[in-house]
Amino acid sequence: MKYMSSAGDYKVDRPGRLVSRAGRIAPDLKWPFIGTIGITSVATIVRLLGPLVIKGGIDQGISKGDKQAILTATAIFVGLLVIQYFAAAISQWSVAVVGERYLVRLRSVVFSKLLRLDMGFYSRSKSGVLVSRMTSDIESLQEFASDGAVLALTNLLTVVGVAVALALVDWQMALAVFGVVGVLLGVSVIFQRQARRAYDQVRERIGRVLATLQEGITGVRVVQAFTQEVSQASTFGRVNERYFEANMAAARAISWYFPVVALLRIVALAAALGIGATRVLDGSLTIGTLVAFLLYLDWFFQPIINLSNVYNLLQSALSALAKLFELSDEPVVIDDRPGAYDFPAPVAGAVSLDGVSFSYEPGTPVLADITMAVGTGERVAIVGETGSGKSTIAKLIMRFYDPTVGTVSIDGHDLRDITERSRSDTLALIPQDGFLFAGTLRENIAYADVSASDEAVWNVLRAMGIDDWVRSLPDGLDTEVRERGGRFSSGERQLVALARAFLSDPAVIVLDEATSNLDPGTEIQVEGALRVLLAGRTSVVIAHRLRSAERADRVVMIDAGRIIAEGTHEELAERSPKYRELVEVWQRGTR
Amino acid sequence: MSEHQSRLGDLKVGIALLWRVLISYRRIAALSIVGALIWMSMVVTVPYLVGRVIDVVVSGSGMSGVWPLLGLIILAGATQAVGISMRRYFGFKVSYRAEADLRNDIFTHIQRMAFSFHDVTSTGELMARASSDLSQLRLILAMAPITLANLVMFIVVTIVLVIIDPILGLTAALMVPALLYTSGRFASKVVGFSFDLQQRLAELSHVVEETVSGIEVVKSYGQEAQQQKRLDDKAETIYDAAMGMANQRAIYRPLFEIIPALGTVAVLSVGGLRVVDGALTFGEFVAFTQYLATLVLPLMITGWFFANLPRSAAAASRIDTLLATAPEISEPRHPEHLKPGKGEVRFNSVSFSYPDGASVLRDVNLVIPGGTSVGVVGATGSGKSTIAHLIPRFYDVAQGSITIDGIDVRELRLDELRSEVAVVFQESYLFSASIEENIRVGDPMASDERVRSAARLAKAHDFICGFADGYATVVGERGSTLSGGQRQRVSLARGVVRDPRILILDDATSSVDAIVEAEIQEALKQVMAGRTTVIIAHRTSTLALVDNVVFIEDGRVVAFGPHHELLETIPRYAEVLAAETGAAV
Repeated sequence: MKYMSSAGDYKVDRPGRLVSRAGRIAPDLKWPFIGTIGITSVATIVRLLGPLVIKGGIDQGISKGDKQAILTATAIFVGLLVIQYFAAAISQWSVAVVGERYLVRLRSVVFSKLLRLDMGFYSRSKSGVLVSRMTSDIESLQEFASDGAVLALTNLLTVVGVAVALALVDWQMALAVFGVVGVLLGVSVIFQRQARRAYDQVRERIGRVLATLQEGITGVRVVQAFTQEVSQASTFGRVNERYFEANMAAARAISWYFPVVALLRIVALAAALGIGATRVLDGSLTIGTLVAFLLYLDWFFQPIINLSNVYNLLQSALSALAKLFELSDEPVVIDDRPGAYDFPAPVAGAVSLDGVSFSYEPGTPVLADITMAVGTGERVAIVGETGSGKSTIAKLIMRFYDPTVGTVSIDGHDLRDITERSRSDTLALIPQDGFLFAGTLRENIAYADVSASDEAVWNVLRAMGIDDWVRSLPDGLDTEVRERGGRFSSGERQLVALARAFLSDPAVIVLDEATSNLDPGTEIQVEGALRVLLAGRTSVVIAHRLRSAERADRVVMIDAGRIIAEGTHEELAERSPKYRELVEVWQRGTR
Repeated sequence: MSEHQSRLGDLKVGIALLWRVLISYRRIAALSIVGALIWMSMVVTVPYLVGRVIDVVVSGSGMSGVWPLLGLIILAGATQAVGISMRRYFGFKVSYRAEADLRNDIFTHIQRMAFSFHDVTSTGELMARASSDLSQLRLILAMAPITLANLVMFIVVTIVLVIIDPILGLTAALMVPALLYTSGRFASKVVGFSFDLQQRLAELSHVVEETVSGIEVVKSYGQEAQQQKRLDDKAETIYDAAMGMANQRAIYRPLFEIIPALGTVAVLSVGGLRVVDGALTFGEFVAFTQYLATLVLPLMITGWFFANLPRSAAAASRIDTLLATAPEISEPRHPEHLKPGKGEVRFNSVSFSYPDGASVLRDVNLVIPGGTSVGVVGATGSGKSTIAHLIPRFYDVAQGSITIDGIDVRELRLDELRSEVAVVFQESYLFSASIEENIRVGDPMASDERVRSAARLAKAHDFICGFADGYATVVGERGSTLSGGQRQRVSLARGVVRDPRILILDDATSSVDAIVEAEIQEALKQVMAGRTTVIIAHRTSTLALVDNVVFIEDGRVVAFGPHHELLETIPRYAEVLAAETGAAV
């Protein structure tokens, strides 16, 4: 269950360390960040002055019957509101700028790390989890940046400011209010714990609901073919009901907490009124002060509730950060070593493996002591059963992995001494399934050379004999390849992959042949294009068909990670019984 | 229909659905509304009591008049708490119950919709109906009771304020439309931007997904920088959308504090002057300030409600449309039963075309004798898969009829028909459950023994036993932990375990390599023995196994007979086969 492993909470051990590490990603945002706190403080303080102005208006104006004082207080209030508006607007805006700029940086940094990691890392990791680092994890930071940060900052400042204001206005009433707030905090802690548990469950169960739903939709044909509609619906009903129950658990928590908060607020109001009234009557408090106090009181409770909500956002933001940093701590295995150089031109493209052994996991060798050479311009087919290790050879030649023992070299240069850039200019892999990126056909063909001219692209298509096919597409080179999930057949995707390789003009081609049959319409075209691509180039073909082996200059047969036979197709057919077996099976399939 | 009209239509249909839902849960909904009204009346009472306290204090008549009022305030607070609790709990209950029930309805409905519907409806679309559209609808349902109470509250408060002091009351009540308008406008703007933002986040996630799944190609061509640039560009568009939203927040959010504060200013000046003139008591003045503070949150929520209503109504109307679409394949009114037989299949002048006009069958007449096997051969697009899909009634024929042992397939109950006609699809779909459960989809009652023997026949037993958990191994989402060939073998076992009268293999071994296919072909002989079997295939080794081959071109049956005969007599047959099997390199 892929989606589960990314939903689980990460332990946040040292929030302080996390935050300071987070800061180091964008040191240039430090001063804007400090400025943001400044302007937010200004907005909050100006807002807090309001009730004091009212107090002045009441005590100097209303109580004394001085109309001028009332108007003066009104004018001051309006002036403060204007300042407050702009300060608050700037604060909102600048928090967003800092937060969103930070996220742009973070996305870039994490992704660039992802790109530098080796194929070994990719084969060890679930792709869903990798994608979730860049999506759901960063999105939970986004949520915090766009909403949480402003809420946290303004509410925190408001709570502190109001507390100070309350205490300054009248410490006796303030003490009573703080007592009630103490109870509120205790209640909030209990609620948060309960709500967190409930929402964790809600999140987990919505995941299941969506997964079951998706399965019910994508598998609907099988469901109907085997008349499983009823059992599917009852499975879904159960999962759905559990989600409902989790939601109701959260609803129950909310349904006791908020009434209690409302009651506490009224209790604080009554307490302040009781104490205040007594003091006004014995003359130790003005009525204006009491009114100002009541106004502050209204601003005290909501921010506390808000803060407890923000706490949740903050928690998930921190756990997302922890996961992201774990990713950036992954070691980069395949990289340019110091002193790495480019292949000296011209590249002949002679491939050799010398005493190469390899294992993905220590203790389970996949290849043992492979020594083989592919001469310049030679075509070698590698054959063997599934799991024999023949695909691994292709990956080693591409330097997706470094051999555990031995060396892989081209023109006598150990691949580990060569820059990645030069390696990728020299070698091209054509995977089993022609992979297309979202975008136009042109972008996909000119993938290795974005600046390639239309003319260059058409030349390639003409040379490979597939220009007519492209012209027959509705938008020619501008055809979007991915609209509505792959309108191209597997054969057509293969054609694009071949054209892509041809345009990049590599000295060595590694071709992992598709196991399944291509659609007959394009099969012949693929064959023709391939002939053009491979002509005059060194190529290593992981072969699954008889004809590929027949056409190779040499065949290397792998069994259980070792080379068991080597020679031309005819030689092997004569010498190697295992090869004969394989050929027989192939022949049965295509006769 | 103009866009405006269709929107209005959406609104009507959507609100009608929302209303139907509320009515069908009326008892819970009523409790929530009662709670909301209790809450509302107490919210309105408290500022009045506070004003009374202040008046008593200002009159200097001592604390004896204050204590009972404080008692009343706390009582009001307690009553209010009960109201909130009811309002929230039952409000949640209505909305979550309705959401869950509707989601079940949608799921069941989707399961019943025919292939033709699923051919043109994307998974994402259906997912959206049952997830985001439903939550949109739920939000509005949950907010309906409180909004109702809020609307009553605005009226009550306005009346109270006007009774206390008409001039000041009307001045202060101006805040209601001002704040309603502002919050509604804000919400509708943010809705647009957040939609945008979601869209762009999805685009970014596509870049990440394709980079991860195409990492071999990226690394092969050393195009890390290009992918990085794609991502950075997307991140920049997210920044723009987020900032667009942030700008709206910056403009509007401070207003939610400024507008009530302006109300307070009005109370301070107008009210203050009127207190000095003796037209207003001091307590009433304080009550005014309290009322204003009370109204802020309800006003914001109400503005939000009406800003979101059109979206929710549109979502509701989309759900309504889905549920109102009838399945194209329906059960017969007076079903017949299959007669005992060996599974003779007859196509009588069958014509068929897909809604998009593709892959047509024209006047196909075909008899597959019971218990025999037939291979279907034709170029891509010739209609050979369609033949397979018509027998179990995934689609209905446009003209003509198909019979099994003499009974028209449309006369049979779907479950009876499909329990005797099993299809193994080319795209082998596995559920994310154990391998065993996946095979048992074919026959939920099958014994372990039968599951295993089916797996053996499909040449799946050996690799299944190679897994640490054997048959209990859970395959990933869509069977992603298995290879294509392994998936096909598991779904083949699924078809075998069903033990149907008629077995259809729709190119079911295209992903296994030649070695394994050779093994499966051995096993197929056993499976086909005495069973009507339809195989869509183009490998000659498979065609050599079947009794007859039907050769289809352009939607017509061109030839019918044993493979070797067709090979000799029909040159075009050999040509098509050669094109199909022509190997690469």
